Amino acid sequence: MGAPVHSLTAQTQKSLEEVKVDTRRHKRHLLGNTISRYYFLFSILALCLVLGLVIVFIGKTALLLFGSISPQDFFFSFNWTPEEDAFGAAAFIVNTLSLTALTLVIAVPISVGMAVLCAEIAPKWLTSFIRPVLDLLVGIPSIVYGYLGLTVLLPFLRRVSGEGLGDGLLAAALVLALMVLPTICRISDDAIVSVPRKYRDAAYALGSTRLQVIMRVVLPAASRGIISAVILGMTRAIGETMAVVMVIGNTPQLAKTLFTPTSVLTSNIVMQISNVEFESTWNYSLHMMAFLLLLISFVLILIIRVLGRKRRDA
Amino acid sequence: MKVFRKLTVTALTAVIAVTAAFAGVAAAADSLKGKITVNGSTALLPLTLQAAKEFQKLHPKVKIAASGKGSVTGPQAVKKGIADIGACDWDASIDVPGFKAFEGQVANKVAVIPFATIVNKNVGVDNLTTEQLKGIYSGKITNWKEVGGADANIVVITRAFGSGTRVNYQAKALAGGDIVKKEKNYKETGSSGDMKTAVGTTPNAIGYIDLVYVTGSDIKAVKFNGVEATTDNVINGSYKIWAYGYYMTKGQPTGATKEFIEYVQSKKFQQGSLKKLKFIPIAAMQS
Repeated sequence: MGAPVHSLTAQTQKSLEEVKVDTRRHKRHLLGNTISRYYFLFSILALCLVLGLVIVFIGKTALLLFGSISPQDFFFSFNWTPEEDAFGAAAFIVNTLSLTALTLVIAVPISVGMAVLCAEIAPKWLTSFIRPVLDLLVGIPSIVYGYLGLTVLLPFLRRVSGEGLGDGLLAAALVLALMVLPTICRISDDAIVSVPRKYRDAAYALGSTRLQVIMRVVLPAASRGIISAVILGMTRAIGETMAVVMVIGNTPQLAKTLFTPTSVLTSNIVMQISNVEFESTWNYSLHMMAFLLLLISFVLILIIRVLGRKRRDA
Repeated sequence: MKVFRKLTVTALTAVIAVTAAFAGVAAAADSLKGKITVNGSTALLPLTLQAAKEFQKLHPKVKIAASGKGSVTGPQAVKKGIADIGACDWDASIDVPGFKAFEGQVANKVAVIPFATIVNKNVGVDNLTTEQLKGIYSGKITNWKEVGGADANIVVITRAFGSGTRVNYQAKALAGGDIVKKEKNYKETGSSGDMKTAVGTTPNAIGYIDLVYVTGSDIKAVKFNGVEATTDNVINGSYKIWAYGYYMTKGQPTGATKEFIEYVQSKKFQQGSLKKLKFIPIAAMQS
């Protein structure tokens, strides 16, 4: 008699314990969820706060500029000689836009082509070689690219073009293209890989050639991913400073040719910010240029987002 | 075990005794304490760092923090109260071209900095006069053959406006002449290192730099009005492109700051470490 009763009690106790453990585990999970929810919320709020502070502080200092000179002078004058109180930033704005455009013209076809190669055409061993190399390239500090530009690319450009200096938009665009290439390539690559296999199968079943499949099916299907890759590459190109400073020549004038030594917003800021008095018009105008960079990248991202959406709707 | 313990005790005693002895010596010599912040010129930074290292050894209770970002940031930081000492390549208590005087600041001379005109190794010219340099930097002379070289366009490389090196070069080598931007063959660099690389890698380039940076075979220093750029020629007065380096302070320096500046100006430091760093002692110019 004793033994079964004993085992019964044991059994009951055991299940009771299990229930208890389950409740405890449940409570623990609830707590974990709550904590992580607050943690993520906090992270997002902190990020927004920091971003907001950056915009507010740069903007606040920047807007002081218009106490001393008019917006027309700043945005539409090409005369930047701050030592003689002429603060016209139009040349930098135009140069920044043309440098970014030139960079993308060089980088996008090559990097999307490489992405297609990696995702669609290349044998596995080649792909598994290219991808890590590209990932590695992203990690190289930009000043190293700049130094290579200064010591390798510039002498080469001088020889090819017969120019005395070689500095200018072309040199900067080539260096930047090399820098944004891995970013654009790897993200486009991921986008192309994630296009469902059935699309390709269907296209092949309809009798498409490989080129037709890639151009008409795969690339359009991956276009949103490719567009975000281009956005990321572009923002890097606009904001990149150190590498550009070393090869662009840093002469505040409009770039009329590809080899005119010139200056963009970022390079002008970094060249001058440490030599300028804190509370001067010059300092405010540099802050305004920084604020402008922020706005330019913001607007460009918006434009491309809108374009991407339209493309998808069509 | 016993031996081991004995050894430990002996060692500890010895350490304590030595420490006490040193602490006693240091304490006897040193009632000085405080914190000194130095900001400003990158050209003077190596000197400041070396002096700080030696000074802190003498006065362990003094903490010195030094950083460099460009000459004009020195007196600015002093003005804002961020730094006690503003290192500057020019006397910021008086007006210089482009920069107004910083009111109420005192300039303490700490070193002599020589500058040199440099050209790429392919340039055949080895002497330039003040007039020729003025012509080159104002854009009137654009070809090396006009100053006795080969038929090739001159590539002008200069530092950004506000650089201490540029302020001094303009005042001494160009006799106050302008540096004019040109359409082509004109480039600005951000630091002495960039200047050296740019002149070294660009054929037909001309630039200017602190004399201590003139090393290697890619660049060469040219004579100025027939005088070679050497520290000896600076000291005997025949080579004119040099400037004093200054420690700017708000009013006359006091306390630890005063002691530190006096240490940098002392004969021991000027004739020792400062010379080793290839600066020139201020006493050499005043005598």
